[in-house]
Parts: sequence; structure tokens; C-alpha cells
Amino acid sequence: MSMNHDPELDDILQDEELARLAGLLKATRRAEPPLDDAFRSALRRQLMQRAWGMGEVRAPWWQRLAGPPALAWAGAALGILLIGSVVVFTANQGPGTNVLTVTSPMADAHAVQLQQPILVSFNQPMNHAATEAAVQITPATYVTFSWQDSKTLAVHPSGGTLAPNTQYQVTIGPSAKTLTGQPLTRPATITFVTRPAPTPQPSPRPTPTATPVSQLTGEHRLAALPSGAFYAPQWSADSSTVYFVGDNGALESVSAAGGDPKTLVPDGVSYPAITVAGDRIAYVRGGNVEVMTLADSSTVDLATASGVSALSWAGNQLLWATASGVFESGANGPGQLTPVAQGVTVVSIAPDGAHAIFQSGPAFSVADLAANTSQPLAGASAFLGWSPDGSRLLYATATGTAAADTQGSPIGTLPAGDASWSSKDVVLLGSDTSVSEIHPDGSGGTLLNTGTYRQPAWAPNGSTFAFVRAASLWTATSPVLAPEVSPLDQAAAVVTQFMNARLALQQDVATTFLDDNGKQAYSSSGLPLLVNGAARFTRDYIVMQELTGQNPRTARFVVRLVLSRGPLDVSEYDETLTLVRAQPSQPFLIDQASADSTRLLDRGPEVVSVDVAAGSMKIVFDSDLVSDTVANGVILLDKNGKQVGGQATYANRTVVFTGLALTPGADYKLVVLTAVQDVNGRNVHGEYDLNLIGPVVVDVIATPAPYPIPSPIPSPSPSPSPSPSPST
Amino acid sequence: MRDDERALVERAKRDPRQFGALYDRHFQQIYRFVYSRVREQSAAEDVTSEIFIKALKAMPRYQDTGRPFAAWLYQIAVNAIADRYRTLRPAQSLDDFHDLSVAGPALEDLAAHRDELRRIWTLVDQLPAQQKMALVLKFQEDMKIEDIAVAMGKSAGAVKLLIHRGVSRLREDADALRPVE
Repeated sequence: MSMNHDPELDDILQDEELARLAGLLKATRRAEPPLDDAFRSALRRQLMQRAWGMGEVRAPWWQRLAGPPALAWAGAALGILLIGSVVVFTANQGPGTNVLTVTSPMADAHAVQLQQPILVSFNQPMNHAATEAAVQITPATYVTFSWQDSKTLAVHPSGGTLAPNTQYQVTIGPSAKTLTGQPLTRPATITFVTRPAPTPQPSPRPTPTATPVSQLTGEHRLAALPSGAFYAPQWSADSSTVYFVGDNGALESVSAAGGDPKTLVPDGVSYPAITVAGDRIAYVRGGNVEVMTLADSSTVDLATASGVSALSWAGNQLLWATASGVFESGANGPGQLTPVAQGVTVVSIAPDGAHAIFQSGPAFSVADLAANTSQPLAGASAFLGWSPDGSRLLYATATGTAAADTQGSPIGTLPAGDASWSSKDVVLLGSDTSVSEIHPDGSGGTLLNTGTYRQPAWAPNGSTFAFVRAASLWTATSPVLAPEVSPLDQAAAVVTQFMNARLALQQDVATTFLDDNGKQAYSSSGLPLLVNGAARFTRDYIVMQELTGQNPRTARFVVRLVLSRGPLDVSEYDETLTLVRAQPSQPFLIDQASADSTRLLDRGPEVVSVDVAAGSMKIVFDSDLVSDTVANGVILLDKNGKQVGGQATYANRTVVFTGLALTPGADYKLVVLTAVQDVNGRNVHGEYDLNLIGPVVVDVIATPAPYPIPSPIPSPSPSPSPSPSPST
Repeated sequence: MRDDERALVERAKRDPRQFGALYDRHFQQIYRFVYSRVREQSAAEDVTSEIFIKALKAMPRYQDTGRPFAAWLYQIAVNAIADRYRTLRPAQSLDDFHDLSVAGPALEDLAAHRDELRRIWTLVDQLPAQQKMALVLKFQEDMKIEDIAVAMGKSAGAVKLLIHRGVSRLREDADALRPVE
């Protein structure tokens, strides 16, 4: 066949009919797919932004020295030496610092905590005034600046907190300069999304105690620890026994509840590692990798290995690292899994054996052992630990603790501390002054106790942990705290599961949260259940929630759906959901749903949260506002259109109505007029109306939910709110 | 690899900020390939973003094996699409992507066989994943066997076998493939 003849196919498809089919396949033209030029441009911008963050990759010095350009310039160097003597002060500028780069531990992060500054790091000492003047932030926000050191700028929202559920873009303009006057060649933008605000409390609740009380039980001092190298204690599979390295490097075991330690190996042990099954423990002793079977204390010399820097089990496979490579045990003896370059130290091997942490000088990276590739851990100053499945990791930064995946991509920012990741996906953070629990995304932080809790290490049960205090090994137990579940929390859990199913494009799952009316609302002629289109549905959050009826129990939610292109939020719309349940033992189901029109983002201040109570209302914006525009720009109307509640007060992005007497079940409307203006001079783009119903007063409900609640919203415990401070 | 492309690649390896030129050169080709597999615009945008971000990150470690740079991008793309397929099946009709007319004046006599073309590509889509990918890269992307081998992480011989088996399997369904009169 002559058409599009491909000689490569001649020896593959010798049969005439096969060749004819190949000719047909090859002759089919490809239609041009729909392509959004804005996407193409946005992706290029995103790539270039990342590329600038990566900076110039310089070859090792010995390669540069051996290269032809280096030889060619060797003679010229003699002359340059003369000039160099005049400008010798420039020798303080090390290699690789000629390109000014900008990074942030918050870049591309989600669920960023509200009470923290925005950290911007440069790779060179900066001119403070010029750099501060180059900072732009959206949404419009009053900020103040401080410098943690000559290269790290902290941008503080003047109101004390970041706005909740908001995508921030912090741009460092090209007028930023180093101390030597070198400008930033291109603007650098840091983008991140903040976490939700603490849950509003529409109903009376027991007053939390103001005095911190220990949440821990059963603290036991187990044994004294030697000074010098510390190796993480190892837990038995049933969480009853702790194995640790004691005096003279003895391997010892002790009951987690206390008692006399038992010596398993008399001396010289380092890098102990126990299997997940808890039947064997490996360690390094006398230049050998040994494995002890705990049932009979028999030992096997597995390999000779000098300079071991990490040792870990991946199932039944033992892996260890030396200066020359990562090795694994095998049926035919040890084998090298991957080589390690000179100057690189393997700090830790993941529990699944797929990844390891490499350190080269001050830089840390996470390496894929199978692919022999690695990704840098941005801003890492120390490695802290793995999740139990090895898929995520924790490391210390200059400002706290970062959680990341094995690509090095950030998944959360946490406070500083010694860290341990539990089987229940809770991170324990210990320090000289306190111990707390927190989710890996930085949410749900709970102070467990004050005092010294260094080097915490969770037991497999996820509730007991070992720690170090005053040169001794201790254990303690963190009880699983049963959250008090209100009807509103239970309804919110349904909304969250419903929205999560939609985000995951799980139509069948989403439909299970709808009653017959709800299914009608999301039928083909109604609202779209799955949001598809060029702009992706990427996140949602609850703008307002209230209980609106007692019998049957009715709750009303306004949920915002945010649509994005690439990493940037571009538009949003609100859905109003009414949930009903006939009996407390039954789950809430979505009975009614409606939606407003889509709004483009980045076009003026936005309402991000409305808290409604019978006597007050709080409206939170994403931007700092011109206070003079608020008084007549944010109003509350009753069903007859008559204004109620008088004038609002304004501070820190928040408008508050007090002295209200909202009638339960009555209709009201919150109106935000276009007169409201942010501090950058932009008005609300279009009038924002929010229909609401006077909330019912409910008694305290402490009955547990009749079905699982997946922690849908932040902990009901109050979080400290910043004291208002005047805008600058 | 052509000399001009080799120079672009070397520059981007030394300085990731030079990656833009490679992006400009290969975006359309990779996006079109991804779209042909996922057949949904937002999904194609997601996967294309993932491919180029991965490529940028891995650029300093890229090894020139003499094959076109695009073969390496296709390798990342094949893996990214495979990941996507684990959770999402393409829903859009093949007709929306494959222009079922045929190219070139010499093929005018085949223009009447749109149904046959449609059925062939429908059958390609039903082939085992490896055979399907080999056929798509060969016949739709017009790649050389050696480059397909790079993209799929296989030997050239294995790719030839996949193509032979794939086309043979198409022939087996003779009824479905018989030209419509």
C-alpha cells in the first residue's frame, strides 16, 4: 500500500490485510482538540515561576574546572587576579548566589493556618526597605513587616490573622533588591489557600476550661538514657513493650507501663529497627548488621557494613545505607539497591522501602530508590520522620515543621517541634515546653500538656507514645477524645461528605446524601451534581450554617464552590442546601438546593464567612475594607425589606451586628452593596445578597452521632482570636 | 535528537529557566496526545500540567540517549495517563477526536469508509492497554519504534510485538472491520 508508507512496519506487518489496516490507522487525521489559550499561557507562567525557584543548576566544581571554557580562561585568570585584589570583598558572594531567588514554605500549600505570618525567603541578603516596598498582596490586606534574618521576610497581616478559605497571592515585584543592589529580574508570586475559620457556635455549649489541663494519662518513667547518640525507641506490634539503646549501647526492652528493663544485647548496638510484625529487631553492632528473633533471642549476622547511617524494615526486607549506597537483604545475601554519590548521606529510609532522605551539605532531598531520582525538600533544616506507610514525611524548616509527600510537594505547615506521625494520621509535636497533636495538614491542633516531651515516638496503637524527659525514657497515653456532636455538626458532616463526593466525581456516592426532593434539585434539569468544564471545581467551603427548625430538625447551609484554572482560583458560586431529618437517630439528608450565579474572582472584596446567632451576626470579608464604606454598605433586611439591627461595626475584615432579636424561622436578607470598598480602592464587584432564616435556639445536644462523622469541620473548641489592632 | 533541540535541552538542563523554549516547542503535541486519551478538556489540562511540571523538575537529571526529547515527554505522559485511567474512564466519543476523513489526495477512494475508520479506532480503544498505547503512539502520533520503546519503557522488539498483536487482533474482528458499502 502506497499511502503513508512506513518502512518500519514492513517487517512487522507482512500480511497484506494487516498492512491495509495499518494504512487506514495511519491515514486518520487528528482533529485539533479544544484548547484554551489562557490555560497554555497560565501553565507557562506557572512553569517559569517554578523554574525561577529552582534557579540555575550549576555543574560540580570539578566538572566546571575540567571543562574547555575553564581552560580557556585559565590564562585570563592571572590578569583577573590583579583586579580581584581590588574588589576582594566580593569574594564573600559564594557560587550560585548570582541569581536572586524567592521561595516560601507556604507556596502552593492548602489549609494554611490563619495565625501565622507569610514567610518569604531569598537566597541573598536583601535591602529591607526596597523589598518591603515591592510586596503586593491580594486580597487587599494591611500588613506589617519583620525580618527573621537578612534573607527571610515575615509579612504579618495587621489584623493578626489571614482570612479563612481564601487564596492569597503574594507578589514580590522587580523593585526588590539585594543589599548589593541586585534587583529581582522578574516578579515572583507565592500562592496558597488558607484553612477554614473555627466553627461558629450558634448554640450554647459548656464553657471550656480556661486553665490548661493535661489530656494525657499514665505517664511512666521507664529508664535512664545515656548521653550521646539517641536512637528512636522501637515499639512491639501490640504497643506493650519498648526497645531502646541504653548504657554502653545495650539493647534493652521494658514494658510500656514501667518495670525493670531487660538486656537483650549487652553493648555496642546502634540503629535499632523492629519489624512491623514485631517478631525481629535489626541493629548494627561491631560493623555487622544483625537480626535478632525476639521469641528466642537468636541472632543472625546479615552483612558486614561499615559506616551505616540508616536502617529500616520494609515488610520482611531489611534495608540499610552506608556512604556507598543503599543495600537490601536478599535470599542470596545483601545486594546494593542504589548507589549514593560522594558527599551524600542517607539520613533515613522510608518504612515502605521505596524512598529515602538524602543530605548533601545543608540540603535535604527525598529520593525514589527504584527510579534513582530525588526531589528537594524546600527549606529543610532537619528530617523529622515518615508517615507509617512511607507515603509522606515531616521535616523541620526555619519557621516550623513541614509535611510533604514523596515528591517534596507541601501538604501542610505545622508548628515547630520533635515530630512523630501516628497510624491514625495524627502528628505528635513535642518540645521542652509542651506536647500537642495536630493533623498533617496543620488543622485541629490540640495541646495535650505542658512540660518536657522531647523525641516523641508513637506506638502502633496510635494512642501511647514514648518520649524523652530529663535524660530518661518515658511513656504516656493520649486518650481519643470523643467530640461533642451537635445537630449542626452532624448536618455539616453530611454536607462535607456530599461535597467531597462531588469533588471526587463520585456521583453515586453524592446521591446517597439526597432525599427525593434533593435528587430532583440535582436532576438533569436542575443543578449540576458533578461540576465539569474548562475551569475545575477544586475546593469548597461553608459560608454560613444555621439550624432553622426543631421538628423536624432542619439545617441550612450556604456552600461556596470554587473553580480553578491550574493553581489559580478564577470563579465561584454559592449553593444553598437545606437538610432535614425526621428523627435524631436518622441521618440528615439534603432536601432542597439552589444556586446563585457564578462570580469571577479577584475583582473586589468577597464575603467568606457569615456567623448567625439570634442576637448577633458576624460577616467576614477576605479583604481589609475602607471602614467608612461599611456603615451604609452592609445592611440586614427583614422579609418586608425594612432594615434591622442598626449600623454595623467594623474591624479586621469583620462586620458585626449586635443587639439583634432575630425571630426564629423568619426570613431575613444580608445585603452587601457595591459601595463597600477594599483598601486598594476596589469596590465589591456586584451586590451580594444572602438569604437567611432566624435561627432556632437549641439545647445542648451531647448525644453521639448515629453514624460516623469524619471530622468535617474544625474542632469545636474555640481557638484564640487575635486582639484587634489598628490598620497601618 | 537534532542539534538545535539538543542545544535547547542542554541549556534547560543547566538553567531550568530556559525550559520555556522546550515547553513552547512541545506543548501542542503533548496536549493533543493527552486530550486524545482522556477526551475531556479539564482533565487534559490537568494531565498536561502534571507532565510539564514533572518534566521541569526532572530536567537537571535528563540523560540524552540520542532519541528525540519528545520521546521523554511521551514517557512521562504515558505514565500520567495510566495513572489517570486508574480512576477515570474517558467518556467522550472517539468521533470528537479523530477526524474520520482521511488525509491526502491519494486517499480519496477511502473517504467513503468513515464507518470503517470509526470502527477501527473503536476497536483500538478496546485493545489491552499496552497494545492500545503502542498503536496510538505509532499510528496517531507517528512515532518511530525506538521512540515508542522509550516512551513505554520497553524494548523495540517488545513494541513491534505489541503492534503486530494489536493489528492482528483488529483483523480478527472481520465483520466489524469489513468496509461499509
